[in-house]
Order: sequence, then structure tokens, then C-alpha cells
Amino acid sequence: MTEVVAPSPPPSPPVARAASGLSRRLDGVLLTLIAGAVLLWFLPVGMGRYGTYVLTLWLVTSIAVMGLNLTLGIAGLKSLAQAAFMGIGAYTTAILGTKFGVDWYSCFLLSGLLSFAVGLLLGFPALRVKAHYLAFVTLAFATLVWLVFRNEQWLTGGTFGIANIARPTLFGIRTDGALAFHRFVVVVTLVLALALWWLIRSPWGRAFLALRENPIRAASLGVDIRAYTLLAFAIGSAYGGFAGALYSPLVEFIDPSPFALSASFMLLLMVVAGGSGYQLGPFVGALVAVALPEWLRFTGGLYLIVFGVVVLLLLIACPQGILGLAERGWNALRARLGAGAAEPSR
Amino acid sequence: MTRFTRAGVFALATTLALAVVGPATAQERVKLINVVELSGAGATAGTQWRNGIDLAVADINARGGILGRQIDIVHYDTQTNPGNTRAAVQRAIDEGTYSVLGPVFSGPIGASMQIAQRAEIAQIVGGEAAGLTRQGNQFLFRTSLSQAAAMPKLATYLKETVKANRIAIVWVNNDFGKGGRDAMLPELQQRGIQVALDVSTEQGQADFTADAIRIRNANVDAVFVYLNEDESARFLLAARQQNVGKPMIGETTLLGARVIQLAGEAANGARGHVGLSIDAPVPAFQDFGRRYQARFGIASDHNGLKGYMAVHMIKWATERMGRFDRKGVADTLRGATITPQMEPGILITTRIEANGDLDRESFLAEVEGGRQVIRSTLPMIRP
Repeated sequence: MTEVVAPSPPPSPPVARAASGLSRRLDGVLLTLIAGAVLLWFLPVGMGRYGTYVLTLWLVTSIAVMGLNLTLGIAGLKSLAQAAFMGIGAYTTAILGTKFGVDWYSCFLLSGLLSFAVGLLLGFPALRVKAHYLAFVTLAFATLVWLVFRNEQWLTGGTFGIANIARPTLFGIRTDGALAFHRFVVVVTLVLALALWWLIRSPWGRAFLALRENPIRAASLGVDIRAYTLLAFAIGSAYGGFAGALYSPLVEFIDPSPFALSASFMLLLMVVAGGSGYQLGPFVGALVAVALPEWLRFTGGLYLIVFGVVVLLLLIACPQGILGLAERGWNALRARLGAGAAEPSR
Repeated sequence: MTRFTRAGVFALATTLALAVVGPATAQERVKLINVVELSGAGATAGTQWRNGIDLAVADINARGGILGRQIDIVHYDTQTNPGNTRAAVQRAIDEGTYSVLGPVFSGPIGASMQIAQRAEIAQIVGGEAAGLTRQGNQFLFRTSLSQAAAMPKLATYLKETVKANRIAIVWVNNDFGKGGRDAMLPELQQRGIQVALDVSTEQGQADFTADAIRIRNANVDAVFVYLNEDESARFLLAARQQNVGKPMIGETTLLGARVIQLAGEAANGARGHVGLSIDAPVPAFQDFGRRYQARFGIASDHNGLKGYMAVHMIKWATERMGRFDRKGVADTLRGATITPQMEPGILITTRIEANGDLDRESFLAEVEGGRQVIRSTLPMIRP
């Protein structure tokens, strides 16, 4: 597998070796992202609208998980508010699009910007509280946002939601069809994933990592803890907003239920199940949470129970997520073959 | 060896014969897919709806099916999530469902109704929110009165029978409760009834003590209760414990069998308007209620009745056309009046308006001695 970073053991190899190993891994991530996008462009052909819809929903969810992966998996800040940011993006797009006729691209950018700004504000408590306490702060925020979605009917439609959300047009080509919209989402997802790929391998990404591994040491090396904590929250939140901006036209209807606290827990589960800190982890985690229940429908009324058991077993078997398990297996294989045994797994 | 070979040849021949006959048999069946809330916030209502459908399918299949074809029913859970509902409805259409059944909650209906509309397939839903049938969707059909139809009857009842001038409203803050409250407020205003206390409650709320105390301390003539069945029962229990002592007026969800079962003695005295009830003075409803109880071990609420009628609406339309025609089902249902003489499974004369709304007789009822007693029958709005 091709991962950028893994949570343990803590990275402390010599700089040159790390740079060489890192660049090799990053190239692998880049190739996987591009190859995956090409595959996903053609995959739905002949798949039917349902299969295409599930694939698109998976990608949209992956974007939100990418953001949470940055906040939690890479910067180590525990957030339970990602679904709320997704909701902020979804409602921004839906309200501006349906009530004010704003085009989707502007809605998309504004959704990301608004989520970024709100994430920045939410980041301030993160400067004062850590770990579980931070999770509680974000939990309270998520509940508050959900109440606004539900109770401010004049703006959000309340429990009745907002219907008939239009899909975007690209160079005069409408994306109303399932396949056209899927391909549109593939392109947007690729752009956002590449941006994150670049961010993580930039000095900013290394600062985020330092923030997670040892904030005091990072501060002693000149990393502005305050700024990077806020940025980690804000960028992760913006990705939630971008996902919401795609979710609205995908479902063409929104109400508060997909952005409730339980949805934030599901997004957290996706980060952990995929592999917290791995750049491809969000895609794997979202696949587990979005596609697996659909595949398990053949079990009839038991499908959610089976899903719960599978996730439970998965987390017991590989607490570092699926990609963590894959990396462990890969390293074990390499050690057995005598190649690269000296290099620590990361 | 020879005998074994003969047996093998026989088995092969049988398999081949079945393979040839198989497709022909498949043609004799009709697939219906029900997309409904079987988990999440809507699970109680969705499970009743599914049970009603299962009972209808069993009845229809036992009587020879629709135009000789047996029904294959498949249920897909929506998790009460609009995104999942949309996926499930899309899957139902991709898998060739004859019509879409469900969902019951209005939000998930709003998220999925465009898909059935684009595919030109009838979608028979359990939702009651007034806005659903105001969007010009020619393929969406209700199975119960909309809130816009039920609330004027209740407001008149409050004014003329209960003689209430100041009331408290207790409603559940979901699309059902909010929709009912919003439809009720203008009706109350028209009749000069003042809403002295407006109490919003949560879906799944367990403790209504604080709400009951607020109502007890408010100077009101009656309480209009618009909650889902389980919450209605909990509220009635809390109101009894806090000696609220005001008339409890509500809709089907306050007077249903499940509420009486859960609230016990505290349900006595609750009264109001009932659209579909297994206790209504309609023999077909009561017979349905007995058979439902026997099969599933619980009493049916209005959602069970709605699910049962939904399948029979499709059956009636198909038999009326004399052929299987997906688009034709919607065309035939629109504007139709179905009587129990035409289709016994419809249980009560039902007129389907051009926009998918329904018109039926309904009832004024009261819970007395642990049973729902019908006081009077209200005629159809446009008989």
C-alpha cells in the first residue's frame, strides 16, 4: 500500500532517509489517486443508477473524511463536529442555490470559506483544551449547529428541509444524469485530494505532524502551535464544507438528519477504520461505512447487525485501521523476503 | 454404475427442464419493492407499514395474485436518512420494481420522490405532511389524509365539542409534528382559539414530566397532543402523574391501539379525530386488526393499515387496466374512487385526488375503559 504517514511508532529517522522514504511513499499516493480517479471515471459504465449513486456518495463522504483525517489523524485534534461542517456546506449551497439563484461553483467556494471561518472559530477552544475535553467542545458545537438547522425554519426549511437543489453545469454540459454527476464528483474529489496531498508533504503538513506527535518539541523548533492548531481545524472543516456542497446536489434534498451527531461519529469511525493518518485511509474508511451496508443488504433485516459486527471485528483485528493492517502485512512480507527489513514501518 | 448414471441423467434433465421453465415462472410474478424506515428514528412507523404490506401481499398471493401473478415483495431499509432513501429508491427502480412503496417519513419522501417521478413509476407513500402533494408530482400518492385535510376537522371539534378557547399544543419536533402544528395554527386562529402554550418536544423523548407541569400551570381549556404513538403514551402517563386534568385532544397517533396498550389507564379520556383505526366502526378495519395481531403479535396502528391499503391500490389499478403497466398505475390511480366493492383490500371508500391526496370518511373517537370508542363518523370532505 502507499501511505504518507502512519500514527505509530513516532517518526524519528534521520532526515535524509526520511525524505527519501517519504517521497517514495508520496509518489505512490499520487499515482494511486490518479489511477483511482481514472478507474472511477469509467467504473459506473453499465453499473446502473443505483451503483453509480452509491459510488458518488462514497466519494462525497470521502472528502469529509479527508478533512477529519487532517484534523484528527494528522494534527491529532479530536473533533466530533465534522458532520456539522458538512451540514454548513450543504445548507450554504442549498440556500444560496435555491433561494438566491447563486451558481454552484460560487456556492461551493462559499461553503468551503464559511466552514473554514467557523472552523477557525472552533479552533480557539482547541488552544485551551485537549483530548476528550476538546471532543466535548466540538460535540456541543455539533449539537448547536444541528439545532439551528432544525429550528430556524425561515432559513433552513427546518424539519421539512430544502428540495429541488440543482446540479452544476460544466462548460455548458449539465450534470443532471447520474453518470455525468459522478464524473464531476470524481474530478472535484481528485482536485481536493491532490491539494491535501500537496499540503501534507509541504512544511505545513510536517508542522501538523509535529503538532500531533509532540507539541512542546514542535514549539521549541519554532512551529507556531496556535496558528497551526487553528489551521488544522479550519482546513479540515473546509473539506467538510466542500463535501456538503457536493452532497446537496447529489441528493437534491437536504434536511437536518444527515448532519446529526451520529453522523459525526460515523465520520470518525471512517477515519479510524480506514487508518488514521494515512492519506488514502479516508477512501477505505468511507468505503466501509457507505458501501458495506449496501452490499450487506442481501442479509435482509440483519444487515445493520452484520455491519456492526464486521466493524467491531475489524477494529479489534486492526486498531490502526485497514491500511495499518495492510502496512503491517506488507512490512512483514518484506522482512521475510529480506528486503528493506532495516527500514521501520510508518 | 449404470443406475447412478441414469440417476445423473435424470437429475441433469430435471435441472435443464427447470432452467427452461424457470424464466416462464419468473414471468408469472410481479416484483414490488418497499423502501421504508426499518432503523433509526422512523423504525416504529416503518415496521408497522412493512407489516401491513406483508399482510397484504400474503392475502393477495393467497387469492391468486394480481392478474394471476404472485407478488415478490422486497423491503429496503432507509435508516431514516434521506441519502440512503434515495439510494434505496434508485435501487428499487434499477431492479425493476413495478411500483415503489414507501417511505413513511416526509423528509425521506422529499429526498426520493423525484427519482420515481423521473422514472414515471407510481410511489405510494405513508407521509402526511401537507407540502408533499403541492409540488406537482404526478406519480406520488398518499395512503392517508394529509394534515391539511385533518386539521380543520380537529379545530372544529375543539371549538364546537370541547368548547375550548385557550389551548396548549404539545408537538414532536420532526416533520410529522411540525407539519401538523403548522397546519393547525391557522385553523385555530380562524376559529378564535388562542394558543396559550406551545410545547415543542423531541422525537424519542422519554420524560414528559416538565412539559406536563408547564401545561398544568397554564390556564388552558384543553391540550392538543400531536406526537408519535410511543411519545403520546409517555406524555399521557406524565400528564396523569402530574394531575394535568385537562381534556387531551389529538389525532390518530393519540388514540391508537398502541398508545392505549402503552399508556394503559392514563389513555382513558383522550379523544379526537381518527383517520385510520382498527377500532373504527368499519368491519374491514376490525378484521384487519385481528389478523394483524394474530400474525405479528402486536396491534396495528394507522401505518399498518396504510401499508395494507398501499399494495391494494396497486392491485386495483393493475386489474382495472387489465395489464401490467408501470406508468399506467399512476394514470389509473389519479382521480380514481376505489370502493371496497371494487377492491375489498382498500377497506374503505377512498377517493384519490389529482395531486395524490386522499379523501375518506374519518371518525371522532374517545378512549374509554381502555378501548377506543367511535363517537361519530365525519363524511368525506367532497362526498
